[in-house]
Amino acid sequence: MRLRTDAREMMLEQFDYPELIYQTPARDLILRYKQTIMGFRRAIFMPLLNTAVFSVIFMRVAPIDTGVPYPLFAYCGLLTWNFFSSSLKFAVTSLTGNSTLVTKVYFPREVFPFSAVIVSLVDLAVGSMVLVGLMVWYHVGVSPALLFLPVVVLVQVAFTLGIALLLAMGNLFFRDVKYLFEVVVTVWMFATSVVYPVEMVGGKLGTLMRLNPMTPIIEGYRDVILYGRLPGLSFLGAAIVALVTFAFGWVLFHRAEFQFAENI
Amino acid sequence: MPQPAVIFDGVWKKFRMGERHDSLRDLIPSLLKRRDTAALADQEFWAVQDVSFEVQPGEALGIIGPNGAGKSTALKLLTRILKPTRGTCLVRGRVGALIEVAAGFHPDLTGRENIFLQGAIMGMTRPEITRKLDEIIDFSGIAPFINTQVKRYSSGMQARLGFSVAAHLNPDVLFVDEVLSVGDMNFQAKCLERMHTQLKAGVTLIFVSHNLQAVTSLCNRALVMGKGAKLFDGPSEEALDVYIKASQTSSQKYGLTQPRFTLLSSEFVRDDGRPALTLTPHAPCTLRATFECLESADHCQFGVELERTRDLLYCYGVTSDSLGQPFITCHKGEIVTVEFALTAHLARGHYRMNLNIRNPIHAQFYMSAENVAHFTIEDQRTYAGVAELNPRCDIFKTATSEHVSTAVEVP
Repeated sequence: MRLRTDAREMMLEQFDYPELIYQTPARDLILRYKQTIMGFRRAIFMPLLNTAVFSVIFMRVAPIDTGVPYPLFAYCGLLTWNFFSSSLKFAVTSLTGNSTLVTKVYFPREVFPFSAVIVSLVDLAVGSMVLVGLMVWYHVGVSPALLFLPVVVLVQVAFTLGIALLLAMGNLFFRDVKYLFEVVVTVWMFATSVVYPVEMVGGKLGTLMRLNPMTPIIEGYRDVILYGRLPGLSFLGAAIVALVTFAFGWVLFHRAEFQFAENI
Repeated sequence: MPQPAVIFDGVWKKFRMGERHDSLRDLIPSLLKRRDTAALADQEFWAVQDVSFEVQPGEALGIIGPNGAGKSTALKLLTRILKPTRGTCLVRGRVGALIEVAAGFHPDLTGRENIFLQGAIMGMTRPEITRKLDEIIDFSGIAPFINTQVKRYSSGMQARLGFSVAAHLNPDVLFVDEVLSVGDMNFQAKCLERMHTQLKAGVTLIFVSHNLQAVTSLCNRALVMGKGAKLFDGPSEEALDVYIKASQTSSQKYGLTQPRFTLLSSEFVRDDGRPALTLTPHAPCTLRATFECLESADHCQFGVELERTRDLLYCYGVTSDSLGQPFITCHKGEIVTVEFALTAHLARGHYRMNLNIRNPIHAQFYMSAENVAHFTIEDQRTYAGVAELNPRCDIFKTATSEHVSTAVEVP
């Protein structure tokens, strides 16, 4: 019962502030791309640099078989992981960084973490142009499976939004969540199939790592873009986890929202 | 009977004092320790205690009270920034808040970009903002700087732009918190005028201010708050008296420790003997006060002071000896009555009177009492200032333009 009123409030609020979800990301984007170098550095240069570094490791030092040219494998993983991690990086301080607004004006506070994700989505779009370039370079074509791409993006966005809401809220109540997050996100990247396939990790650790919902999502991207096939059953599991995380994160955020002003 | 636009029903709001844990690192040890330091529970206090009121659509309610009375907390509860600990608080319709009007501005964006951002934060749609853009820029009076980054603005410019955006929101319910303190007199007048216009258009207004004159001019009804509780709810003029009495600091004004007189009664009457709560300019009136002498005093001089309530502007002061009365000596137990007959050559507004008895030779106060009487001067005419000079104006034309031109030709 309470859940239903919550859900209705959450939706209605967005209609009361129709322009907000556009203006806030626009503000962040204008500010970021006003310093053009910085904007493109994050969107393109960082994934490219990491691709080069890991290409040396996994092509020269410890070669692995990934089915497609390794730089393509790595860039595809790093680009989409970058969307996830940079969304969260901006989301975690999005409420505390706007404390004057949070304490002085009423409006749906979700807009800040949402905006962080939307801005990173723009970066993802910019960075994917390089991916297209790499695919042309390596002569990797696409198949009708690419039509499934929007679903993969949506699942990742839902999961990212859910975590973003929880992190933004967490950092508001406990200011060291920000530092904890930085440690966790680094470990998390290596626990995900970003620069190597996690199936290569066996034993109990491997089983544990397969519970990570980010792996099927990143592999989902590779399946539909590089391998030309539909994602497997594990992607369905990840999609369910993503939607549940999103719903849980938003409801929790909504219920804690009224305490923000006095706790910030 | 229409439904109230604002309902504040039995609202309580609790705040905690002292340092709070705001990191996980502090939280974990404190959770472990909690059991044996139960005595160190958070200190709490009520910022708002059991306050109830309703505002009908189109009504204007003023909220006055000293600092720390809970006015701003009440407003934050109404605007949903805070949630009441107990009770319900409900606002019907689109809410506009003139509180911290420049809070949503981003310093690195231009004035124009910030209008869109601020508009969005207040719940306007883009077509709405675009339609009102020129009007907003015009109202703010900073048109030449609208494409300059807001960080280059002065604080006055920021506040003016913020107010302009907020003033064009066209809300159903408008909350205003002491924003009139920003901007120069011209801009303040413009803001007040804007609020008047919105009131006429049927907007419900809740106005929190220390500017008592502005409260009485905008609102017919006012709420007095003190220490989180509601002290009074009723007509503005009466609310002012309650507020002034509540914020009075007894006879401390002149560092008086042992008053030698006590005020038994005071009345302020018109010519016909009726209490003078409202007067027209130039009305004759009398202040009559009766004192009891507690301890013998010589060379008593009686003084009266008149102050404008809004800002405690000292308007007039006179003493008994300058009006031809000798200094008198009073003995313990004697009752003295003093009458000051006055003519109220005052501009419209609210005024109050103070009385004192002193010994001018030793420059010693025997007693002093603030706000022994208060009254409102009502006048239909408009003028500014504190005195009423009974003006008349005539305009004559004495020369035509031909006259002037021939005069020029003569030399």
